[in-house]
Amino acid sequence: MRISQHPILDQKTGREVSFTFDGQPLVGREGEMVSSALFANGIRTFSRHKVDNAPQGIFCANGQCAQCTVLIDGLPMKSCITPLREGMDIRTLVHYPTLPPDDELRPSRRPPELSCQVLVVGAGPSGITAAIELADAGYSVILVDDKDHLGGKLVLQTHKFFGSMADCYAGTRGTDIAKILEEEARKRENITIMTDSVVVGVFADGKAGIYQPQEERYLLLSFAGVIVATGARERSLVFPGNDLPGVFGAGAFQTLVNRDLVKSSERVLIVGCGNVGLIAAYHALQAGIDVVALIDIAPKVSGYKVHGDKIKRMGVPIYLSHTLVSVQGEGKVEKATIAQVDESWNPLLSTAKTFAVDTVLIAVGLSSVDEFYSAGLEAGFPVLKTGDANEIAEASSAMIGGRITGREMARRLGSTIDIPEEWFAKAEILKSPPGEVFPRTHTWPPEDGWQPVIHCYEEIPCNPCTTVCPHNSIQLTGRTGTIMDLPEFSGKCIGCGLCVLICPGLAITLVRESEEAGLAEVVLPYEFDHNFQPGDQVILRDVEGSDLGRGTVLRTRFNKKHRTHLLTLQVQADIATKVAGILVQDPAVTQPLPEADFTYLPDNAIVCRCERITVGQIKEFVRENEVTDLNQLKLLRTAMGACGGKTCLDLLPRVLMEAGVKKEEIRPATYRPLTVEIPMKALANQGGDKA
Amino acid sequence: MKNYDVVIVGAGSVGLPLAHRLAARGVRVGVVDELSSPGQGQNKAAIGGIRATHSDRAKIQIGIASLEFVRRLEEDYGEDVDWVQGGYLFPAYDQQIAENLKALLPIQKGYGLNIDWIGPEEVREIVPGIRAEGLLGGTFSPEDGHLSSLKLGGALYRLARRAGAEFHFETKVTGMEIVGGRVTAVLTDKGKFGCGTVVNAAGAFGREVGQMVGADLPVYPDSHEAGVTEPIQPLFNPMLVDIAPDEHSDNYYFYQAKEGAIVFCITPRPKRMGTDRRSTSEFLPMVIPRMLNLYPRLRNIRVRRVWRGLYPMTPDGVPIVGFDRDVEGFFHAVGMCGQGLMLGPGLAEIAAEAIVDGTEPEIFADLSPYRDFSGEELLK
Repeated sequence: MRISQHPILDQKTGREVSFTFDGQPLVGREGEMVSSALFANGIRTFSRHKVDNAPQGIFCANGQCAQCTVLIDGLPMKSCITPLREGMDIRTLVHYPTLPPDDELRPSRRPPELSCQVLVVGAGPSGITAAIELADAGYSVILVDDKDHLGGKLVLQTHKFFGSMADCYAGTRGTDIAKILEEEARKRENITIMTDSVVVGVFADGKAGIYQPQEERYLLLSFAGVIVATGARERSLVFPGNDLPGVFGAGAFQTLVNRDLVKSSERVLIVGCGNVGLIAAYHALQAGIDVVALIDIAPKVSGYKVHGDKIKRMGVPIYLSHTLVSVQGEGKVEKATIAQVDESWNPLLSTAKTFAVDTVLIAVGLSSVDEFYSAGLEAGFPVLKTGDANEIAEASSAMIGGRITGREMARRLGSTIDIPEEWFAKAEILKSPPGEVFPRTHTWPPEDGWQPVIHCYEEIPCNPCTTVCPHNSIQLTGRTGTIMDLPEFSGKCIGCGLCVLICPGLAITLVRESEEAGLAEVVLPYEFDHNFQPGDQVILRDVEGSDLGRGTVLRTRFNKKHRTHLLTLQVQADIATKVAGILVQDPAVTQPLPEADFTYLPDNAIVCRCERITVGQIKEFVRENEVTDLNQLKLLRTAMGACGGKTCLDLLPRVLMEAGVKKEEIRPATYRPLTVEIPMKALANQGGDKA
Repeated sequence: MKNYDVVIVGAGSVGLPLAHRLAARGVRVGVVDELSSPGQGQNKAAIGGIRATHSDRAKIQIGIASLEFVRRLEEDYGEDVDWVQGGYLFPAYDQQIAENLKALLPIQKGYGLNIDWIGPEEVREIVPGIRAEGLLGGTFSPEDGHLSSLKLGGALYRLARRAGAEFHFETKVTGMEIVGGRVTAVLTDKGKFGCGTVVNAAGAFGREVGQMVGADLPVYPDSHEAGVTEPIQPLFNPMLVDIAPDEHSDNYYFYQAKEGAIVFCITPRPKRMGTDRRSTSEFLPMVIPRMLNLYPRLRNIRVRRVWRGLYPMTPDGVPIVGFDRDVEGFFHAVGMCGQGLMLGPGLAEIAAEAIVDGTEPEIFADLSPYRDFSGEELLK
């Protein structure tokens, strides 16, 4: 189950290797993550929890949680960060592992010590740009990332970026921006790049501990200052069935699908209509995965309107003011039930709808990963945070934010380098949430030949259409005087289609009158593989997905640079300016099952995934012991598992409030290093078995 | 103003069991602590060993009483604190250390401790995979054991509350009200708590609280770091204590908890004085090679988390327990030297009797705040 054809992404290369899973011979690609090799072979249960023997599936696919742990050659390892090698003996981890009786005494070594002026933790968009600024200001930088590549989550972003072309490569796909940034970083001699390296702690004595799993090595790194660019982790959600294999984060989904080209699912339901959820839906469709619905408990789409509109046009229903009642299945996700919510956000079970799905994606927001920042403040050395670690926003703003932070750190370390005022202004705008929505009227017919129709109604920080027009005929106009303003066309259009190709929202079409009276031609962007032939019929959709009848394909052309097709359709002239897209997904897949499942047992939802602690257990304990300090929940082993509370600590305050605790009385849990588990042999630098 | 018979300063390893014992005897007990919930100071930082294996009368006898209490916790009170009676094992690879350990046996046995020397074969049977080369044997005290400090703290808190003790968290003690040479109230940032008796169970801050009544207690905290691994299937039961020093550290010790994790701790040399509880980069490179040298099989286990806790030390390594000589009604129970968890339950019994009945057991002479502190502990 691999994605053998993708409209945007190139096929993976890599030698085929054989391995076994629970004794069964399988084939994977050398160097891909073991989790992806297992998914590609249809395996979605990786371990059995000691509580209830419950099956565990992948959850974060990012090395943060430990849900994907399997036994590899007898040792428990996170499959999502372990590259596949020929001959691996991979097994389901059942409960706790047994330590192999390896009793040979080996020499231990002290960790090698490195030093630099600035340690940048995290090589995503903000970390790289910060490192570049520091290097250009003359500082020696060590840029550390736990993945085997640079770019952070940019490598998952197959879509074109918003923002401005001048500041953040707007109109370019995230995957391509990652390559550009990496090249820039590698050009600089005073940046030392360490990939496959996990910063596990920033300690009080001014040193960071770095674990290199591939070499089974542990290093200590001294520095004058630290920039924390560790990004964000996905928030989770508490609902019955949230522990079933097949419930995972939208980021995990993008990792499997976009980074590893593994078809993780056949049919997904997505919870959360922010940009992450909306984009995940789009990525699913591009990967040939059905999306039965997007839901959000809020009454409105919180992501960009252009993203939401795009999804709706393609045939994905969006259910607002809806919540997930439960996910059901025997050992894996088989069904998901949603229902509308009342004013107190409780489900109205009479409105329940149940869908047959194999995957539920959680896209309910991100929270900053900034533990090292707090550790740095506590230890008293210069520390700054940037990108999502500082504030959750788009990658476009992370790039300019990283540059500012890089220079701020240089100044903290004594440099007098200037930080241009306009950088701050740009950063501010790029992280703006969507502004107001304005109506538009589209003129018809065009004065002379082609004319763009801009289906962009909401203020968002984006302007590439204004930059590419060879006749400078698209300008931003509006109330803010920034790139939040809406683009307007006036002047000459030669029908080149550059604005159509570059628009990240797929919100621009070209229209002209046909020679035949009463008909018109419309040019649409199309980011799917297709085999349309002239004369084929397509179902036309207006901007928000209402049906406009049928149109006929006249011709198609493919723009290689933008990896986007331009479809020229013939439509009725009276709807020419209304056509914004075509239906992509068969409406039949979005139909609920005839019988809804009305079971609702919210106390059964899992809060702490590592230790399988339920809402019910926590509420009972909270009431019995009058708990207000989250540390007390450690008595239940909450947050004591492998991940160290990365998922549950975010969820706990709400559970406490449901149990009657006042918000202002709740005290946070103490954070302790390490960020990930490290084998003792690596801490003792015993040389590595693999070397 | 709230009024109690006894106000305990500190809801930690000593304050919690004492609150329980006092309340169970019908005493009106109030406990004040500046942290947000019970056991959040050094109590939860304790790795969980409970032993009577010491080298002096007072600690051996208190230890035996503590063991008696935790052994019965489940049966008497229905509280599961992950108690495992796995014993304490001090292995020896060095002739001198073997001699030193053996020399303590008569003293230890004399105070009623169940302990003996066992040969290398028996050590290897109890700890499968321990380094065989050079192993001379060790002392083994099968009635010692380990438990979850977190769970013991939680259980004692529940029991104390059930018995009627009242707790006041996020309440910082600012002074004592003394009238006519007698303590009458504890002053805090949340108001005054009137009482007949005050117990100083402030742990690492016992010296500061003592100073509020003019007592100058020699309690100076140093700190140790500790860590915990992922849980694995059962491998060994006892607490292993290697007392052979190396270049940068004195002893280190570790055990496998009931739930499967290995919990470990080391005594750095020189000592790190003060109340800094932030983890350092030195700890893991210091302790892990030593553990792997003793127990090579642990190389594949993964370390999960580290922390640092304070050892409120006294000059002779023995706690300070007893009534203040100058201020009537003020009872000190501090200076547990990093052993509050294992001494607390036993001490609570004795201290409760002293406070309620005015008893003065023999060992109070060894624990007196006014004793000669020049002695040195043989087994640290």
